[in-house]
Amino acid sequence: MAKIEDLKEEARKLLREGKIKYVIGYAGASNGWMACPIFIKKPEDVEKLVWDPTCVHNLSRFLVDEKRRKEREKQPDKRPVGVFVKGCDSRAIVVLLQEKFIERNDVYILGISCENGGVVDEHRLAGKLEGKKPKKVEVGNKGQFVVTTADGKAEFPVEELLAERCLECRASFPVISDILSGEKLKRTVEKPFGSVEKMEGMPKEEKWRFWKEQIDKCIRCYACRSVCPMCYCDECVVDSINLAVSADTTAEEKADKVKWIQRSAESSENFIYHFVRAIHLAGRCIDCGECKRSCPLDIPIRFLNKKLEKEAKELFGYDVGFDPAQPSLISSFRDDDPEDFIR
Amino acid sequence: MAEEFEPKIVAFLCKWCSSAGSDLAGVSRMEYPPNVVPIQVMCSGSVSPLYIFSAFNKGADGVLVSGCHPGDCHYIKGNYYARRRIHLVKKLLEFVGLEPERFQMSWVSAAEGTKYTQVIKEFVKELKPLGPQIKLRRNS
Amino acid sequence: MKRTGVFICHCGINIAGTVDVKEVARELAKHPGVVHAEDYVYMCSDPGQNLIIQAIKEKNLDNVVVACCSPTLHETTFRNTSKAGGLNIFCCEIANIREQCSWVHKDKSKATQKATKITKSAVEKVRRNESLEAISVPVTRRALVVGGGIAGIQAALDLGNSGFEVILVEKTPSIGGHMIQLSETFPTLDCSQCILTPKMVEVSKHPMVKLMTYSEVQDVSGYVGNFKVKILKKPTYVDPDKCNLCDECTKVCPIVVPNEFELGLTGRRAIYIPFPQAIPASYTLDIKACPGLMPIACGKCADVCDVKAIDYDMKPQIIEEEVGAIILATGYDLYDKANMAEYGYGKYADVLDGLQFERLCSASGPTNGQILRPSDHKEPKEVVFIQCSGSRDPENHCAYCSKICCMYTAKHAMLYKHHVHDGQAYIFYIDIRSGGKGYEEFVQRAVEEDGVLYLRGKVSKVFEDREKLKVWGVDTLTGKHIEITADMVVLAQAMRPAEGAQELAKKLKMAMDKDGFLAEAHPKLRPVESVTSGMFLAGAAQAPKDIPEAVAQASGAAAKAVTILSQERLHHSPTVAKVLSNLCTGCGMCLQVCPYEAIALKDGKVEVNEVLCEGCGTCSATCLRAAIQVRNLTLHQVHEMINACLGG
Repeated sequence: MAKIEDLKEEARKLLREGKIKYVIGYAGASNGWMACPIFIKKPEDVEKLVWDPTCVHNLSRFLVDEKRRKEREKQPDKRPVGVFVKGCDSRAIVVLLQEKFIERNDVYILGISCENGGVVDEHRLAGKLEGKKPKKVEVGNKGQFVVTTADGKAEFPVEELLAERCLECRASFPVISDILSGEKLKRTVEKPFGSVEKMEGMPKEEKWRFWKEQIDKCIRCYACRSVCPMCYCDECVVDSINLAVSADTTAEEKADKVKWIQRSAESSENFIYHFVRAIHLAGRCIDCGECKRSCPLDIPIRFLNKKLEKEAKELFGYDVGFDPAQPSLISSFRDDDPEDFIR
Repeated sequence: MAEEFEPKIVAFLCKWCSSAGSDLAGVSRMEYPPNVVPIQVMCSGSVSPLYIFSAFNKGADGVLVSGCHPGDCHYIKGNYYARRRIHLVKKLLEFVGLEPERFQMSWVSAAEGTKYTQVIKEFVKELKPLGPQIKLRRNS
Repeated sequence: MKRTGVFICHCGINIAGTVDVKEVARELAKHPGVVHAEDYVYMCSDPGQNLIIQAIKEKNLDNVVVACCSPTLHETTFRNTSKAGGLNIFCCEIANIREQCSWVHKDKSKATQKATKITKSAVEKVRRNESLEAISVPVTRRALVVGGGIAGIQAALDLGNSGFEVILVEKTPSIGGHMIQLSETFPTLDCSQCILTPKMVEVSKHPMVKLMTYSEVQDVSGYVGNFKVKILKKPTYVDPDKCNLCDECTKVCPIVVPNEFELGLTGRRAIYIPFPQAIPASYTLDIKACPGLMPIACGKCADVCDVKAIDYDMKPQIIEEEVGAIILATGYDLYDKANMAEYGYGKYADVLDGLQFERLCSASGPTNGQILRPSDHKEPKEVVFIQCSGSRDPENHCAYCSKICCMYTAKHAMLYKHHVHDGQAYIFYIDIRSGGKGYEEFVQRAVEEDGVLYLRGKVSKVFEDREKLKVWGVDTLTGKHIEITADMVVLAQAMRPAEGAQELAKKLKMAMDKDGFLAEAHPKLRPVESVTSGMFLAGAAQAPKDIPEAVAQASGAAAKAVTILSQERLHHSPTVAKVLSNLCTGCGMCLQVCPYEAIALKDGKVEVNEVLCEGCGTCSATCLRAAIQVRNLTLHQVHEMINACLGG
């Protein structure tokens, strides 16, 4: 089991020496039981950092904000930012590097291996606790999850509480890091795309009914977009405000903007929004599951991304987020890419 | 008797092969159903997924993307990028339950007037039993 | 709102027979922004065009849509018409309602509806077109030719004779390439050196050609019409102006290394002249072989040189040149015999490759034109020639056909018979490919006049057996196993891109095919142009080819280069990609998909080189942010066209 004491020591040292600007990590819950992101600037605050199966957030998202901040500042502090990452989160950093959004020395990566575990799924946990409120979730000495409630401690096998994406995770340790805690365990996942395959097996109309019901719920709060480290565009194409304006652009021309979708949260518009999101994340989504977790309507958005991850792998042999030097999925091809779908 | 359903199809044709092939069908006076309205693009590689989603959103019953055969792209390799991109879009649309028949891709060279005609005929024939595409169509 | 005029052509009954043109005009007149819509029997006629010009002026039109035949026919016509009316040519768009509508449908009402949609779509596009002028750049009116073989020499001569300065760069100490190594050439059997040396002299003395031997292209930047080239001039350590070719230096040089020109059949000294007719006629001190450039190490050559031509302090030089066009004629090398496990890995002295055999046949060769076994200098009485050695073998070697081997093997067998009258030549072949003027007759002559025995089949093994070579093969026509005890075996080795050519191609960002040959822009219609505008291909660098083909392609490449060099300025279509830099994040995906290397990253954003961009738009479909789009076919325009096509 990964212990973050070494990482904390390293973070303390780096902060003390002024080698990093601040550290993004997880702190214990101020309210409730889930860990939450914390920004640590002082070495003495490093103590606040925790690591347990409730550290669900993909903290690499904050690197996007950090970059924006630096761009705004006249004399930005260019020191790297320390960030705690799990396996999935580290692959998000790889994609950000691949797309030259950040540079390697913008970030000091404090990697934690999930080993045979992962993070808990709130809903599954709630189901297990039957109304009781969890206070704490820890990893036990046999790798099991130990949940503390008002009634005391209860133990569960990891499979029963892990988020679905963790059960399908093929690389549970950071693929890139400056310091690593925990083992680089190779785990064999029998069905890395099991959840998607289950849906693929449904009859066409059943699929449609399922997705229509789900997508109809969308209120277009864009939480999925805001939480995603890959949605770092300054302006989303679906917001359609982009227009090259020059001195002689008339008001009419300014009004003449491309509207790919309407702002109203209708079924058809929601679908197009989620399609655009999914296709723009093809070959980029590393399945951190934050879109699904942050969705207030519980729409299983993750499946759309996972589906395309599966196709990238199966059709094009493309693995996301392992090699910052590889060309992106859609900016590369192989001569023998399948074309049996073409007439 | 109610009038037979006539599907509305948008076809993105690359200028150098498929649009030229469609011109050849015209020059040869081949006949095919008038359901397809073509949009000429420079290269199949320039067809953004946004175009496809948008066409369905605006009420297309079917969408066709057609480009040069592999190895024949006027721009050397645009059709290879198209092949990958369009494949992903197709998989995504089918995943949520859109009928696979509604979105198609073809290779039609400038010499293949007959093939273009054939592609359109078959496309229209396959779409007719499906009826209008309302799943992604904007209501307003 | 922009004021659009729509003109619908009847094209006699070609359109009007199936499309109700009046109805289309009525429908379009209702379309927002359309202030004028009319139909006419022949829009392309003078009166038709005048209608357009008149309407532009009277109705104060901003743009025009002509609904007529395919844009491939009259787009230029009507754009010029619009220009005559005072509009930019991009203020005119064509709606193709003939080839893509009236000619392919019968139902008049449906065809009319479709024609209406096509026309509306064109209206939506033209309203959002930018007025653009052709991009124009000045041209540096000189050329670079890389490679001094027959193709490079021919290209340089043609360019020089057209009145353009040429820099001819050759990496070895002399021009001449592989052709100068050949003995006689098929199908006429004229002496290769005799026909090539006059051209070598001509190119070296040509007032427009600057010859740079022992030099290599290091870097090329810029774009068509305006390339900047860095050329490394390697030191020869011998001043050609002082050297009087007395040859005393080679006599004292203690070092012997294999002679490249003789393909290792003989040796040469560390200081050497590649061959007697070398151009420039001068010596080169091979730094790799020389024990050291200082008197302490050896210094014998400098001691003996009376005219003090040897200068150990000569340094490599980087020479920068500006050129408008580049021709690559980097040639080929033979596929190494060492790859041929089945034929002894090139270890047997009497198993030769085709070029080595050429040297044996050559009057200037190591044996003065006598065909003798390298091992014991005896005359071989039975010689086996093996075709397709390394070619047409996708599993083990090269998948492609090297094209010239059938012919040169026939020539080899013939030359052998001319030298050794009582000898027997056997040729193992898969097929005989003798397409070419006089080629089939040549092969027949080898069989009929020289008694060459052709055996259809592959040789499975060649091995040494008591001073002889055992050749095991199968005659697939009779199905019999064949064993020949030969004195010599000649392998028609596959042709490969020349050593270093692929690295050069990468430096020049030129596309290569899967075998490493330079890729042409279009396999049929643009065979001498590379994908990169302003760079051309000649000779075996592009694919295996024989001398006449190499020469023809070189002249073709030169002519293509002249189309650029003959212009003061280059004009280029302005419908190229443009970057909306406020949206660009510099991810570089567009750069990866661009077939023309027209996009570059600068300060975290991409930039488009408008001269290189061909406007294909693959970048725009790849960009996740709509930050790169093609002028006059933007995402917005297509969006509105889709809308119009669906009757929205």
